[in-house]
Amino acid sequence: MSKLHDDEQFEFEILADLCGVDTGTEMWAVYHLWSPRTPDWLRVIVPGLKRDDPRVPSVTFIWKGAEWPEREAYDMFGIIFEGNRDLRRIYMPPDYTSFPLRKDFLLADDSARSSGEGFRHVEQMHQPAENMRQPVIRMAPQLGDNQISTLSQLPEESEAPPT
Amino acid sequence: MTLAGKILIPLLILVALLTVLLLVLWEVGVLPALIGVVADVVTSNIDIIRFLLAATAILLFTIPTAFVIIFMELKVIAFLASRIGPNRTGPWGTLASVVAGFKVLAKEDYTPTGADAAVFTIAPIITYLASVLTLLVIPFAPGLVGLDMNIGLLYFFAVSGLSVVGLMMGGWSSFNKYSLLGGLRAAAQIVSYELPLVLAPVGVIMLAGTLSLNGIVQHQAGWFWDWYVFQQPLAFVVFFIAATAEGNRTPFDLTEADSEIVAGFATEYSGMRFGFFFFAEYVGVFVLSALTTVLFFGGWNSPIDPRPILDFFHVTINGAIDLAGMGIWLLWAVVLGVPLVVFLMTLVIWTFKSGWSFVKSLVVAFVLFNVIAAAVVLIWAFVSFEVVVGLFWFMVKAFTFAFVFVWMRGTLPRVRIDQLMGFAWKWLVEISLVNAFVTAGAILVVQQVTGR
Amino acid sequence: MTDAKTEVRSLDDPNIWVETPATIYDAIPPYPPRTEREAEFYHLRDGEMLLNLGPQHPSTHGVLRVVLKVDGERVTDLDPVLGYLHRGVEKLCEVGDWHIAISQCDPLEYVASLFSEAMPVMAAEKLLDLEVPKRAQYIRTLVWELNRISSHALFIGWLALDLGGLTPLLYGFIERDEIVEMLAALTGQRMLFNYLRIGGVNRDLNHDFLSRLGDWMSRAAVEIEQETRLLNENEIFVRRTRGMGVMTPEMALRMRVTGPNLRAAGVPFDVRRAHPYAAYPDLEFDIPTRSEGDSYARYMLRVDEIRESIKIIDQCLHEMPDGPIMARIPRLIRIPPGRAFVAVESPRGEYACYAMSDGSDQPFRLRISDPSFWNLQSVGEMVPGNLIADTMAIMASLDPVMGGVDK
Repeated sequence: MSKLHDDEQFEFEILADLCGVDTGTEMWAVYHLWSPRTPDWLRVIVPGLKRDDPRVPSVTFIWKGAEWPEREAYDMFGIIFEGNRDLRRIYMPPDYTSFPLRKDFLLADDSARSSGEGFRHVEQMHQPAENMRQPVIRMAPQLGDNQISTLSQLPEESEAPPT
Repeated sequence: MTLAGKILIPLLILVALLTVLLLVLWEVGVLPALIGVVADVVTSNIDIIRFLLAATAILLFTIPTAFVIIFMELKVIAFLASRIGPNRTGPWGTLASVVAGFKVLAKEDYTPTGADAAVFTIAPIITYLASVLTLLVIPFAPGLVGLDMNIGLLYFFAVSGLSVVGLMMGGWSSFNKYSLLGGLRAAAQIVSYELPLVLAPVGVIMLAGTLSLNGIVQHQAGWFWDWYVFQQPLAFVVFFIAATAEGNRTPFDLTEADSEIVAGFATEYSGMRFGFFFFAEYVGVFVLSALTTVLFFGGWNSPIDPRPILDFFHVTINGAIDLAGMGIWLLWAVVLGVPLVVFLMTLVIWTFKSGWSFVKSLVVAFVLFNVIAAAVVLIWAFVSFEVVVGLFWFMVKAFTFAFVFVWMRGTLPRVRIDQLMGFAWKWLVEISLVNAFVTAGAILVVQQVTGR
Repeated sequence: MTDAKTEVRSLDDPNIWVETPATIYDAIPPYPPRTEREAEFYHLRDGEMLLNLGPQHPSTHGVLRVVLKVDGERVTDLDPVLGYLHRGVEKLCEVGDWHIAISQCDPLEYVASLFSEAMPVMAAEKLLDLEVPKRAQYIRTLVWELNRISSHALFIGWLALDLGGLTPLLYGFIERDEIVEMLAALTGQRMLFNYLRIGGVNRDLNHDFLSRLGDWMSRAAVEIEQETRLLNENEIFVRRTRGMGVMTPEMALRMRVTGPNLRAAGVPFDVRRAHPYAAYPDLEFDIPTRSEGDSYARYMLRVDEIRESIKIIDQCLHEMPDGPIMARIPRLIRIPPGRAFVAVESPRGEYACYAMSDGSDQPFRLRISDPSFWNLQSVGEMVPGNLIADTMAIMASLDPVMGGVDK
């Protein structure tokens, strides 16, 4: 990829698109590059990524603007870009467990295919992930023990507070 | 029973009972004695009574003023932006600000979690007081001054600086980073613009020789070229800019910049507490424009001095009406003349406007008669009383400046906090100091030349 | 829990999350940092504060949450959090067929939605190798340029509003309202037009639209000049925007910023010239470029682009060929398997779509690459070092539309 960018013969300056594709059997990472030399885009496909643990080297060292699309590909497909300093979920909440754009994530009203899995994913949304700290509820010192604040209405073990 | 009914009917009953009580007391003879006692008390403490009346009048005056300025703001900014503004509530939307005031009263008044309740409650009151207390020394008309202190201007600046305390308290006590930022920005801005605000009128004070606002206005009597704006133009410009910043108006309204920190220090306020901040700002607009007219534009002096013109034409206007001399004819005029005139006007209108019914033309004639009578009375008052003339010119000038404030709000974008502080400290303070020195030098020179 | 009361807590302790009124409203997330960047961002040095420009804010263009790390008033770092408007458009497009994808993709760029509609349409046409009739191409260009003008007019308004001026917003809306009424006469809708079809456009130009267009065109240039005159030389506006958010060409290319933002930095890349589509090869227009790369240059560039668009509309009207407005395609489209990549020049930048079809009537993968998504990343480079007030100004000058950022 850096060869394509730096080589004077090609001079692919602009990364037009970066996305992930789930073909049902395997995952791809697709890049589109543009250079002032050629009249069309160049499509670079990285095929053959395994469904279980797809890993691709990141291009953020060339184009820092690729950071968010790689985050999006991770969020939607689970493709891990090695070298991206900020690979966390961008659209879904941080404790979301599944990857929505995969072919085995079915929407609840998808009648063409079976709708079992979709429901399960929707219900799972409200369970916090295992790596979330459980919040400890404690009265703030200035309130005093006999004063009730809204905090005391929450149960002891609850979901992560909204940020 | 409607809500209006629930209020009005007991009120009417109360008024009827009160009338009956007064008549009974009058018959018994207790009432004249009471009146005598009250008159004695009042005449012996006339100063205190006058002060209390003035303070009450000022407090009551702020509310309609704020309403008028709010309405002006809504309409003027709308017209600047090719819109119309409120035109449904009341004729031409005039009740819009009243409705806004009522809305502010009707909202839920809460204290956010974690906020310091005592400070949170007091902050808007202090800000409001800081704006309203300054009205005490402003001369509205010859003789219409709340309290004619001989350090009036100093009192004004001292009290208007209290608003910093209120804003800081509001910003800190709402448990909110936006409010904190807003309060800090407000404190920085107001404190740094106090200096040009105070230093710019120093030239005016030197020219007038007194800190009393009444005195400053009296020194500008005569034609419009006697006003201090022509003798101190630079000071006027500096003062006006500093006043815009003191009143938190665009282009210096970053404390309430509603596209950055949602309402600055007032983010967590709602209901009447926000109403206090809201009113404090608009009363501040009026107060600052009033001060501008007092200091630089002659206060209640009219731009033309009518006496030379009248002397030239050998005309004396005597507005005195000898009501006692008219005697019984006054009664006939009021009782018979008014309905006769209204009936005549009705006939005229009914004849010429063929589509209108008699009742409609009667109503129109009545309204028209009232308008003409009010205009005649106003003109008579204008001619015969100095107070009315002074009040009229003062209000015209003050609201012109309020209009200029509103105009600036509709046109200009905001400056940034560092640009604002830089402007105050690097430019305005220096210019006002230079102005003070130059004025002092000029006064000395003029005194040497003419005094000798 | 019982012995927690006697210990002194600190937020750096990774095992305990103490819930007090202060921490409910703080922006530090309640889980340990997952990436290096998160750790670096949420570690506060002495005197720094996290300020949450939350999803509900009058100035973030849509629902965008930006966590600012501020030191007093100066921003040291910033972390945008997206996802508040995420609708799963790509997944929904996969579920319906190609025609449904048009109305799904419409609200992606709701300000100028004909560009986002063009995505599935042009991708399907490229996959089918369909020849769109000339008249349809010209109509598409015409309405695209109208959308561009209305979007830029709105941009001027928002930029001024974020800086505090209340009136240029209304002036922008005057222009936008006239254009939108025109397009309502043509398409039946004011905002999400649903006008482009695979193979052409939905309806032909009608008399109402043409008369309004002619009316508007006769006044357009003069009105734009008058309306932008309030801001062009305005001392306060210039001082707030000049030198703010400077983007060098290298940085712009590295952050993959496109559109007026890139051209204001000096790189003359325009998809209409680089990969001509629709009627653009036959039309004569310039690509305005500026070299400073600051917010003022971005503003002036968009004003220039409005003028260019007026020229293009003029040419389109004069050279409009006759003919059918839609190619003959079956109602149920089954596209043979293939992959296609199309891009248009939307008012925000390069709006691209990568479509894969697997032979059935549903798109296999419809990836929409929205320019606001890529443009918004550059705030992380441009804003730190400026004041909070400038954050708004810089974000507004990039013209993001959250519909596309959060697909």
